[in-house]
Amino acid sequence: MKELDHLFFPKSVVLVGASPSEEKLGGIALRNLLGLKGNIYPVNPRYDEIMGVRCYPSVADVPGMVDLSVIMRPAVEVPAILRQHAGKARFVLIVSAGFAEVGAADLQQEIIRIGREGKLRLVGPNCLGIFNPWHRLDTMFLPHSCLKRPKRGNVAVVSQSGAVMICLLDAIRMANTGISKVVNYGNAVDLEAPEVYEYLAGDEATEVVVSYLESVGDGRRFLEAARFLSERKPLLILKAGKGAGGRAAAFSHTGRLAGDYQVFRSLMKQFGLWEVAGFDDLLDAAKAVSYQRPAPGNRVCIVTNGGGSGVLAADECARRGLELGELPEVVRNGLRSVFPSFYTVANPIDLTGQVRIEDYREALFAASDAYDGFLVIALTGVAGVTLGLAEYLREFREKVGKPVVVHIAQGGVAPRLIRQVERAGIPVYRSPERAVRGLAALLKNRGGSHG
Amino acid sequence: MDRREALRSLLASYPGGRVVPEHAFKKFLRTSGLPAPLGIYLPVGAPFPDFSQLSYPLVAKVFSSKIRSKSDVGGIRLGLKDAAAAAAAVYDLMGIEQAEGVIIEEQAPPGIEVIVGGIVDPQFGPVIMFGLGGIFVELFHDVAFALAPLDRDDALRLMERVMGYRLLTGFRGAPPCDLGSLADILVTVSELMATGLLEEIDLNPVAVYPHGAMILDAKMFVASPAPRTASR
Repeated sequence: MKELDHLFFPKSVVLVGASPSEEKLGGIALRNLLGLKGNIYPVNPRYDEIMGVRCYPSVADVPGMVDLSVIMRPAVEVPAILRQHAGKARFVLIVSAGFAEVGAADLQQEIIRIGREGKLRLVGPNCLGIFNPWHRLDTMFLPHSCLKRPKRGNVAVVSQSGAVMICLLDAIRMANTGISKVVNYGNAVDLEAPEVYEYLAGDEATEVVVSYLESVGDGRRFLEAARFLSERKPLLILKAGKGAGGRAAAFSHTGRLAGDYQVFRSLMKQFGLWEVAGFDDLLDAAKAVSYQRPAPGNRVCIVTNGGGSGVLAADECARRGLELGELPEVVRNGLRSVFPSFYTVANPIDLTGQVRIEDYREALFAASDAYDGFLVIALTGVAGVTLGLAEYLREFREKVGKPVVVHIAQGGVAPRLIRQVERAGIPVYRSPERAVRGLAALLKNRGGSHG
Repeated sequence: MDRREALRSLLASYPGGRVVPEHAFKKFLRTSGLPAPLGIYLPVGAPFPDFSQLSYPLVAKVFSSKIRSKSDVGGIRLGLKDAAAAAAAVYDLMGIEQAEGVIIEEQAPPGIEVIVGGIVDPQFGPVIMFGLGGIFVELFHDVAFALAPLDRDDALRLMERVMGYRLLTGFRGAPPCDLGSLADILVTVSELMATGLLEEIDLNPVAVYPHGAMILDAKMFVASPAPRTASR
């Protein structure tokens, strides 16, 4: 058993600051924790029982050693509460805010010291903690009515910020993707991204990791752990704090050119790590790699039933370093012999508003050998685009095995078609550009290696 | 003697200072096996030296710990073809306000200019920078960074990461530059930074040729006595 298994799969969890009121954070958190596959021990000296569960006056009264204790009490009380944990808990998650992030560096130093003395592993402070739907562990103090949880899946989220983590969870749910594990470690007095990366590298439920960072602590440890993970599964990193400008007081030219972010970005490249430009890029790429495995190559074929959408996609391909090579002559001749003369047999292949779903199948299989990835654009405003397309796309994806992404827009069957295509393991995007970004994430020879 | 010991003994000659003068740092780089121009340093008031060991043309540069940019004060004289021209230049430069002396060096032929630097990053520790000189650095900030120390392969890969890399490999029919010589410079600078004794190194510019390279200007900044550690 690995040490972090106790954190992500605790058999027993204490909640210090549990409340019977679901208007209060300690009540919301308890309600969410009660789903756990394990024992919950609420701690609050004012109650004998909360939500049908026996309540304990203090941590010391809880029977035995617990895997995880969650502290939701004001920051000033945390040192005393933490002292009671020595020998009682393996991991202590300090949800409370009011430490170094508001200038209370001494208080933070104190909990670090208490943690060391008590041989406690600390998560936080100032964080939402852990969400592991595979173990029904949810330490977040957010009611389900405010934040619908994503389903179980293969995406892990490692986030320094709680707010960004919640946005990611919501967006991942909307993208029809699921979660393997989530951790928000806030001020990072002990648990930090590198240790989580190393754990996730060996975690079977996790196939993709998205990580939001503000600072990286020990930079070299971070780079090594990130490389270790990214050699095993896709790791997408979004770094905040990209402010330009070097060290103003630098003595040399080099110093003036070496802004914190410039150095970070360049070292990410030295280590072959994948940094995304922003939140939308993170989601578009994460969605793609959660549905399909990345593959080599960068040649893309676009099959569309709308000329303009195809051109927008082609433009984005150029910006992302993807190549739209011409259709090979044999493919061209083959398609010309079966398609009406007003279809454009080039790349993009434009099946026009008079498309029938069989035409997509014809075009994709004809081009399957000549390209590394495929972008299908299905605009549902015309009668010829029907739900049967999902089945054709599934067949193509299964037989050819190369990355395929789809852009579906307009009304009619669009919502049902999106569901069916995604159920077939093919990610759908609401704009041509975002679909290209998804496809770029699946093709390994991505552009932009400088810096 | 290893890099750390050699560097320590250089720094010991300038106790308490954060800066080692350019001529002394260049001499140190030459002893470390790197290409820096041959030259002599004349402190203000020193007797006029014998240049016979240097080949013309020469370049004369004002030296002062207080002057940040030599060219801004008219402190560089290029293309000195004979002893008379050199003597006149030295006389002029000694007259510049705050001048502490003059460096006289063999003038290197023009080449493609690059910048090699080192800094101590608060999160990543000693880091090496490489960039193409002139407008590439000034206008486009076209530089790349790598963790120190580097081996030769790391150094070659670092160079490939700048946008202007093609200028070094024979752009528009020009002969390719000697990337091996640049790699040697990068590796040595990275080893100096990795000693933890320095806060910054700035070799700017380094001229690179089809065969060889030459460090035209060299600065270093010594780490403050309390060693910096990665901050959290």
